[in-house]
Order: sequence, then structure tokens, then C-alpha cells
Amino acid sequence: MTPRPRVRSLFQIEGLPIIVVFALILGLFMYTAPEVFLAPNIYMTFLSTAPPLILLATGLTFVIAAGEIDLSFPAVIAFSGFVFAILFKDYNLGWIAVVATLASGALVGIVNGYLIASIGIPSFIATLGTQFFWSGIATVLSGGKSYALRGAEDTSVWWWIVGRFGDPNSYAWQDQLSIQALWTLLIAVFLWFILNRHRFGEHVLFIGDSNDVSRVVGINVVAEKIKLYTLMGVLASVAAMMLTLENKNFFGNQGQGYLLTAIAAVLIGGTSIFGGRATIVGTFFGCCIIWMLEAGLVATGLTGAWVRTVQGLIFLVSIIFYLFVEEPQRRAEFFARFGRRTDSGGRDPVGKVPARPARESLGPDPKS
Amino acid sequence: MRSIKRLLASAAALAVAAAGASAAIAADAPGKGLTIYMQMGGHPGEGPVLARQTGAAEAAAALGVDKLNAQFSGWAPETMIEQFKEALAAKPACIVIMGHPGADAFASLVKQAVDEGIVVTDGNSPLTSLQDAYKTKGFGYAGVDLYAGGTLTAQNMIKDGNLKSGDEAMVYGVFSQAERGLSEKGLADTLEKAGLKVDRLEITQEVNSDPSLAVPILAAYVQSHPKLKAIGTQHGGVTGILADVLKQAGKKPGDIEVGGIDLAPATINGLKSGYVSATLDQLLYLQGFMPVLQCVISAKYKMPGLSLNTGAGVITPKTIGALVPLIDAGIR
Repeated sequence: MTPRPRVRSLFQIEGLPIIVVFALILGLFMYTAPEVFLAPNIYMTFLSTAPPLILLATGLTFVIAAGEIDLSFPAVIAFSGFVFAILFKDYNLGWIAVVATLASGALVGIVNGYLIASIGIPSFIATLGTQFFWSGIATVLSGGKSYALRGAEDTSVWWWIVGRFGDPNSYAWQDQLSIQALWTLLIAVFLWFILNRHRFGEHVLFIGDSNDVSRVVGINVVAEKIKLYTLMGVLASVAAMMLTLENKNFFGNQGQGYLLTAIAAVLIGGTSIFGGRATIVGTFFGCCIIWMLEAGLVATGLTGAWVRTVQGLIFLVSIIFYLFVEEPQRRAEFFARFGRRTDSGGRDPVGKVPARPARESLGPDPKS
Repeated sequence: MRSIKRLLASAAALAVAAAGASAAIAADAPGKGLTIYMQMGGHPGEGPVLARQTGAAEAAAALGVDKLNAQFSGWAPETMIEQFKEALAAKPACIVIMGHPGADAFASLVKQAVDEGIVVTDGNSPLTSLQDAYKTKGFGYAGVDLYAGGTLTAQNMIKDGNLKSGDEAMVYGVFSQAERGLSEKGLADTLEKAGLKVDRLEITQEVNSDPSLAVPILAAYVQSHPKLKAIGTQHGGVTGILADVLKQAGKKPGDIEVGGIDLAPATINGLKSGYVSATLDQLLYLQGFMPVLQCVISAKYKMPGLSLNTGAGVITPKTIGALVPLIDAGIR
């Protein structure tokens, strides 16, 4: 039975499966930890801590959509974070430090793009190598030390990038709304339009489908991939600045914890690991799920050993739910495998795939 | 009949009195109504974490704390900061932190917590300036005097291994972390004062989070330094793998004097086999128990923060035997 038009249009909402999962998990935490999740403070906290992950995952959405991967962005968090910290703190360069930091992220991205697109090194290997290289450079340059950015909150750079909308001396939740949340939202919306309405986004998805076909239709695959990795590098450098300014500290090994969480956020959001299909809305809600998961489980009182178990379970459920909703063919095959009722009440034999809709014949019907 | 009635009446009175007393005791549990967030450090059940977890859980149970919410950061300082913010948003009665991110990173957040009436206290790694500022609000410290702990470890290494001036030594530690690095510094400084040539090697964040990654690194170091006489560390996880390192490097027990910290199950084997000569016992159980107690007495009774130096001394192959069952149980 085909879904009614209203239901069909509902299923066409981008990221619907992951939005439903997010709502269910949020509802669950509101029930199990009402003192935390029914109050606004935790959400203000998320708005000041989640933006780096959202930026990284949004950039990664483009990369994965193109059928590639980037493992080097944690190193950009460390390397660009160091560049920013040293120029901001030791040389008092303010906004010049910001520009230099963006340039450092772009540099890492351009190198990645060149290695992958021009030289042809598989992206997994290339970015694994650059991850070690740039994080090593960061450690060498910083001497492994941390840098405290004392007085950062008195600068315009801090206010414009991670400042608060409200009274700086107030702890009321409405004064804690962070500007970085607004920047992150604007960047995510902008990149949604790029992915879905701009030629670059179209090229990325084409490349994700097939590099060869993309070349045949006239897409400069090398140039687009270099742009892609440059975008990722710049986004990672923005994330580095937000993290460093928010903490008012550069930690020598910052960023290491984002690798798997960013990739997980993209994949549970619905972007295909094989490329050719991507959703920024899905990535956004994937980030929201991942970011609130541990906080919610801890607030519920679950001991540490259970946290990872529940996280893994939720990831699997999210992806399976997504596949069920977004891929009707897989859904049909699943039900066929376990048998389904016919109109007369009998059962189809187990393993029989339902008849496919009529299509242009490319040869004799194998059943005749 | 009258005596039976009297007996029954006495038994009933006793039962009522006992029920009233237990109700009174339950109602008076000091931790009742309190929610505590506690930073445990690494990963659940990990060597340097397990005894703290056990101590904290038992303190919470003994004091009748409503909820003890444990946070695990994989020893990453920026994760500790993020988790502190999440704890702050939950508005608990008390938050227990660890000093790895440093006082500068915590300063404004601890101020906010204290201003909002949340008790903040510290364990394992000190935050001296914050403790001085907020001691009257319950900011205490339960942990080792890190520099002194490193010194004590080094002194035992020198004595036990007959180390002398000119001998080569290596100290593997997190020198880069603000106050946490004082532990390694104390160890390295003491060896240097005794005239040894000390090579200081920094533990990377990957190894910090997963010490097994250090095995090939250290094995390679040992093999490339044939004159090495001593290895010191103040990282509990690394201490546990040092026996493997020396075996893989082809060394026999006693070839290289090893000083470490904590009493993880893996460290027991190191001590019993003789590869590990001395390990600083920082009584991690107390580092879990005491901050919870601090939270309760400060949140409930407004008592100031207390300092407790949990650096009891070193454990050697001669003294490890009696402690094994307690280590396996996650208490020592």
C-alpha cells in the first residue's frame, strides 16, 4: 500500500529519521533526568561547547559526500589552535591572529587536497599521515605545553567569536547564550545552501557518485577536491579558535577527542559513507545526539561502564532506523526475509522477494 | 497470661522504638538530598581510576548521597572543562574536579559555580590558587603533594638501585600539564640532584589515554640506550606496562631500576616479578572517598575545605603481597 500524499511529504523532510531519534532521546532524558533536561542551563552549555563539533561534522559531510574521508582535522584543532594562541597571546595580534589561523587551516586543507586529488594518494592514508604530521608540528612548536589566554575576555576577538549576548557578570541562563552558537548556525545554513543549491555542492555529490562520470560531464575533479579539503581545513581552524577562546586555554593535545565523534555524527545523520548523498540537517541533529548523550546518561546516574554501551546501541538504532525510513527497498527486503502476510491472510514463503514494479525490459523476463 | 501480655507489650515497644530509630537514622543521613558530580579522570575501571571510583561509590553509599554522577574524560583536559560546564548546568550540590587543566582554565568556571552556591572541591591533582581562593567555601584537596611524591619515588629508586652520579636515567611523564607535571618534575629533579643524567620524555595524549601504546616506544628507547640504569614515571597506566617493556627490550629484573605510581593490577605483576622496584601509593581510594565526604560536610554543614595528603609511601616487591586481594577488589 503506497503512503498517502501527506505521509509521503512528511517522509520527504530532510533528516526526519534522525530528528525523530533526537526527539525520542531528548524526551527520554527529560523523563530520567528532569532536573537537568527540563531546565534551560544544560542547553546553554551545549550551545557553548557543541559548535566546534558541528563545524567539523558539517565540513566532514561535504568530504564524505564526495566519497572521501578526512582524518586530519583533530590535528588542525591542535595546529591552528597553537597558531592562534601564540599570535594572540604572545604577540597581541588580535584579528590578525584570526586571519593567520584561518590561513593555517586552509594550508593544511590545500596540502590534503593536493595529496589526494593531484598525486592520487587515497584520502584515508593521506589524511592519516597529515594528522600525525600536523599534530606533531603542533607539539614541537608548543613544546607540549599549554597556553593560558589570560585576559582574553577583555578583547574584541573574544567577544565577537565566543562572547555572550547578555550581561557578562550575570549567571542567568538567558545571559549565557553564546555568539559562537549563532555563527555556527549561520555557517551551517550557508553550507546547506552551498550543498543543495550551488554548483559546488552539486559537483561534490556527483564526484561522490563517480569520479569518472564527473570528469566525463566536465567537472574539474582535482580542483573541486582541493576546494573541498580547503573548506574542511578552514572550518577546522574556526573550530580551533572557538575551542581555544571558549576555554581561554590552548591545550597541547586538544582536538583528539573529536575524530570519531565527528565521523559518527555525520554517519548517523544519514550521509552515505559511499558518497553521493549528504544531509547537513541530519549531521546537525547527529551532533546534537552525540553531544547530549554522555551528559544525559551521567545525569540519569548511569555508571561509566554503561555509557559506552548505551552510546553504541543508540548509534546502531539511529542508523538502522534511518535505513528503514529512507531506503524502502531495504525495508521491503527485510520484511520479505522474515515473511509477510498476503491479502488472503496466508504467508509468502520466507526468502521470496516481493515482485518489482514493471519497468522497461532489457531482456527476457527470467520468470517466463 | 499477665507475663505473656507484659512480654508482648515490651516486644511491641521495642519494635516501635527500633523502627523510629532507623527512620530517624535514615532521615538524618548526611548526604540525603545531595547530588554530586565527580570527575574520575580516565576510563571506567582503569588502573588509576578504579580505586577512586570504589572510594567515591562507598562514600556516597555510607553518607546516603542521593546521586553520585561520575564523569570520565580519558585524561583529556579540555574534556574535563566541558564536563565541568555540563555539571555546572545541572546545578548539583557539589562538583569534584581534578587539576589537570590547570587553575587558569578553571578559574572563571569555579568562580561561577561558587557564586551559584555549588561546592567545588579537588582531588588527585592540586589547584593551589583556587584552593586558596575558595577554601572557606569548601574547596579542599585530597591527593598527593605531587612534587614530594615524585621526590619520594626517586629517593627509593636511588636507595634500592644503588644509583650513583653519572648513571643514565629516563623520566617519562606529563611534564607539560600545569600542576600535574610537578610529580614527574619532583622525580626528575631528585635524580638530577643525585648526579644522574636524566632524559625527560613527554607522554603524548594518545599514550595518556591508552598506556599500552607506550610499550613499543619505551622498548625502543631502552634498546637504544644500553647504559640506561633507571626509568621513572608518575603515570599509573605506564607503570603497569613497564614490566612488558623491559621484557620486550630483553632486560632481566633488576637490570634497570624502575619507579612508578599507583597499584593497578598490572603493576602487581611488575612488582612481583621484580621489574618494578618501587611504586608510590597515593591511596586512590581516599582520593575518591574524601572529596565525597568534603562535598557533604561543606554542602550540608558549611565546613571549609580540608587538605589531605594521601601520599603514604612506596610499595616494593617485599610489601606487595598483603595488598594483592585489596588491589584486585579495587580498593588499593
